[in-house]
Amino acid sequence: MEVTVTDLTVRFGAVAVLDDVDLEIASGERRALIGPNGAGKTTLLNVIAGELRPAQGSVRLGTRDATTLPPWKRARLGLGRTFQRSTLFGQLTVAENVALAVRARIRGSWRFWPGGQHPVREEVGKRLEAAALAHLANRRAANIGHGEQRMLELELALAASPSVLLLDEPMAGLSGAERQSVLNRLLTLPRQVTIVIVEHDLDAVFAIAERVSVLDHGVKIADGGPAAVRADPRVQEAYIGAF
Amino acid sequence: MLLALALASIPLWAPRFWIYIATQALIFAIFAMSLDLLVGYAGLPSFGHAAFYGVGAYACALLALGHVDGLVPLLLAGMLGAGAAALPIGALSLRTSGIYFLMLTLAFAQMLWGLAVNWTSLTRGTDGLIGIPRPALPGLDTLNVSLYDRGPFFFLCLLVAIAVFVVLESLVRSPFGKTLEGIRENDRRMRALGFPTFRYRLAAFVLAGMVAGIAGSLAAMSNGFATPDLLYWTVSGLALIAVVVGGTRSFIGPALGAFLVLFAQLGLSTYIDRWELALGALFIAFVLFLPRGLVGLVRRA
Ligand SMILES: Nc1ncnc2c1ncn2[C@@H]1O[C@H](COP(=O)(O)OP(=O)(O)OP(=O)(O)O)[C@@H](O)[C@H]1O
Ligand SMILES: [Mg+2]
Repeated sequence: MEVTVTDLTVRFGAVAVLDDVDLEIASGERRALIGPNGAGKTTLLNVIAGELRPAQGSVRLGTRDATTLPPWKRARLGLGRTFQRSTLFGQLTVAENVALAVRARIRGSWRFWPGGQHPVREEVGKRLEAAALAHLANRRAANIGHGEQRMLELELALAASPSVLLLDEPMAGLSGAERQSVLNRLLTLPRQVTIVIVEHDLDAVFAIAERVSVLDHGVKIADGGPAAVRADPRVQEAYIGAF
Repeated sequence: MLLALALASIPLWAPRFWIYIATQALIFAIFAMSLDLLVGYAGLPSFGHAAFYGVGAYACALLALGHVDGLVPLLLAGMLGAGAAALPIGALSLRTSGIYFLMLTLAFAQMLWGLAVNWTSLTRGTDGLIGIPRPALPGLDTLNVSLYDRGPFFFLCLLVAIAVFVVLESLVRSPFGKTLEGIRENDRRMRALGFPTFRYRLAAFVLAGMVAGIAGSLAAMSNGFATPDLLYWTVSGLALIAVVVGGTRSFIGPALGAFLVLFAQLGLSTYIDRWELALGALFIAFVLFLPRGLVGLVRRA
């Protein structure tokens, strides 16, 4: 599914955190969104996901104008996301966490009796296997390690089988090996899934992304292929010495 | 199971007064279990749950005084009447959360209490509706079984309490129940996954109100009257104490809590003038030293 953001402006008080931003992301594209701290990357994801209303501008998902849709309706259009800070169901088990995401997709939650959950349990088992979390299935999400929580954070979004996936710093705070497994998990996603990834780990960014957009102080300062963006003097200035 | 059997034997050996007390405790237990669906599972700290207990009692009373005889219609009246009240109250209160939700539910319940006091043509004000008949049991009356006797009425309450317990236990294990827990743990994530969380919370609020209404119906039949006291905030408070003391996120806990609170109230009020104070102290002790309630104590042992 395509994501199209037009003339987007978001203000917190008098400050424009996003200033007239345009993005055109093709279906199945892997797009990275980078920029220094406070550039407005998370804010942009929040607007696309529907948690923030822009002061101006529009968001389209596929052919649909989603600007005024609440987050849950956008999710039902096929939008999935992860959060910069893990946003899990802390007191529920790892398996129950994933089961909620699976039932969100199959719309199986208006059932008032237990039972008939075998297909859900089976799918949860497979997904935990794929995420290397199977051994933690019955632990509470609040009690597993940080890296495992980040993996679960990603798995919750994937279990809903999104056609657009917004990822907010999925590698933050992870060890080298953990980064690699997140990367591998992302690289195995079906080709038609559109991915928008915000990430400070530029090696990861360039391993995944086909196009890169750069935000600085709420303004999009560059947009293009990885090599072109790397060479752009404005990007180098915003990121002094990061490349 | 053992508990149910022990309870079931009460009419066989206990003095009449204690059968009456145990009946009251069972009704209160149904009420407390319904509240725990909100407090424990959905994470909605309602301080106005007595509204639905009271509305259920009045609905049952009005129907019974209108010469409707029949156990099922009378229980249904309480259940549906309370559900009808819970729908708009929930729809408005659930726009807020946390302490604001608590205050709003309290305010709505007090409004209904005011209505029960002032709408004298319907409710007869503070006098209440009196002389509520208990329904006949077709078929069983030939066997000399009447709900006017304490034993049979106690068994009725026990059966309803067990049914409510079983239904609520399976409800919280169902996909719907797990969805409520997800919403309690992280509403934002649930919305990001595609759940219209408001609708689930409202459904839980109405369901809990309906079960409270069943308890209200039984209370009206048990007492033979329905007065505004049933809707007063102290009733909501006692139920909250029962839930916390018994232990949230189980239904056996709040049921035990209801018994404890009722017996404590009874015992303390005989010996201490300011029994509310003593009950309050008991509550604080539980919150501080046994945050998981009676159930937590049993699980640890
Ligand atoms: N709710 C809010 N109210 C006021 N200001 C906010 C709010 N949320 C974010 N901001 C400000 O908006 C700017 C952009 O924040 P945002 O979180 O989008 O940045 P980011 O690019 O994701 O940064 P980081 O890399 O640190 O995550 C920051 O200056 C931040 O302080
Ligand atoms: Mg951010």
